[in-house]
Amino acid sequence: MKSVRVKGIKLYPLFAVLGALFIIIFGLVTARNQNLCWYLLGVFVWLCIFGCYKGCLKMLPAFIIFGGAFAAIAYASAGGDLPAAISMLNRFGALFLGVAASMSVEAVRMTRALSQIHTPRAITLGMLISMSFVPMLRGEVRRVREAMKTRGAGSVLNPKIFYRAFLVPFVMRLVNISDTLALSVETRGFTLGGSPYTVYKKQYPAVLDVLFILGIVAGAVLVVVL
Amino acid sequence: MDNSVQNSADVAALIENTRIMQAAAAKKEAALAEKLKKRAVRDADESKMFRRFKIKDIVFLAIITACTLLTSAIMPLLIHVSVFGIIQLGLGLQFSIFPVIGLMKVRKAGSMTLMGIFIALFLVMMFPPMALIAVCAVVVELIVFAIFRSYKNDWACVLAGTLYMPLTVPLLYLYYNVNYTVTGAENEAVSMFLGATDPWVIVGMTAAIVALCFVGSVIGMLISRELKKAGVLKK
Repeated sequence: MKSVRVKGIKLYPLFAVLGALFIIIFGLVTARNQNLCWYLLGVFVWLCIFGCYKGCLKMLPAFIIFGGAFAAIAYASAGGDLPAAISMLNRFGALFLGVAASMSVEAVRMTRALSQIHTPRAITLGMLISMSFVPMLRGEVRRVREAMKTRGAGSVLNPKIFYRAFLVPFVMRLVNISDTLALSVETRGFTLGGSPYTVYKKQYPAVLDVLFILGIVAGAVLVVVL
Repeated sequence: MDNSVQNSADVAALIENTRIMQAAAAKKEAALAEKLKKRAVRDADESKMFRRFKIKDIVFLAIITACTLLTSAIMPLLIHVSVFGIIQLGLGLQFSIFPVIGLMKVRKAGSMTLMGIFIALFLVMMFPPMALIAVCAVVVELIVFAIFRSYKNDWACVLAGTLYMPLTVPLLYLYYNVNYTVTGAENEAVSMFLGATDPWVIVGMTAAIVALCFVGSVIGMLISRELKKAGVLKK
């Protein structure tokens, strides 16, 4: 374990994911506990302290909109039952906080950490590509839709037009991107066999990472005990 | 004089040492070349069920997974709607179209499992019980191989795509049961799972999920066939 890292805190990827999982599972299981909202508030602050503030701020509007809407539905459907609305809010809070914690992990750092623990190359490579490609695919969707507009293809809500003018060109782009990327990956020396490899920037847990996990678990214990 | 004799002895030892190392390396190289040759022959034989994955296979399956994930962003919202099978109904189409396209390009045993693992790594962040989708992928492959022996037949891919999502329905039981058993309301868990104890809700929703996944799988097959005809979907 390395010494304390303070400047530009970056959590150890596996600990961040473990923390995220713990928050989600604990939140879903104890959603009906009235103290859970205080715990989630504490976790929000804790995540911000440990450098996940960007993910937290990104998730906050989504939590307010969707959490609020579903809490209102739960309140109305339960005949004005406030605890039902709070438990729904708790579930959304736990989920979005977990996502915020996992969002703070960079795909490359996660891959390095998994490679260090000898995860098969096929898994780490696939995970790296899947994580990195979601934003790129959004761009591809936008481009295909722009092409549809340029050609005057009509509304995407029409199933025939959706299939012919959106789905087929989109999958075609996916295949082309995949071929280029595979070539690029191979030329950079990636192999799937059991050949030895080195991790250039190794990831190690620091004292702060342990503190991060301990803080989350201690909070959960307090929720259960108090 | 002594120095030169010593030097020549050192050089001779060095040469001898290098020769021994070369001989050892040559043996290893020959064994490796033989192994690679056998592997290439086996991979080229498309009648074989188990063939090694290449980088391009992994890349394509990963991109297809990213695509599936992109379209399943509604999942965190659906898990809070307490209607039997609502998650599967919301995700059925995208979880059948894209995996079928993936299977029709990478017709190798384990393709579905790999996609399942990639998806599970992300779904665990959205809704932990759905991470068991990787297990469903293994079960689907076993069923497909029991019936079709391989993915050579297009309908094998369609069957895999059709069964993939519906098999996750029992996972709902796990979620509701764990969630509500811990909170001390087991009866509520069962009633939520069974959709207010109405068996018709279960039958109706399951049939709807299977039908939706079948339609999605057929669409995936049609897209793949079209791309194959156009020469885009090469093996």
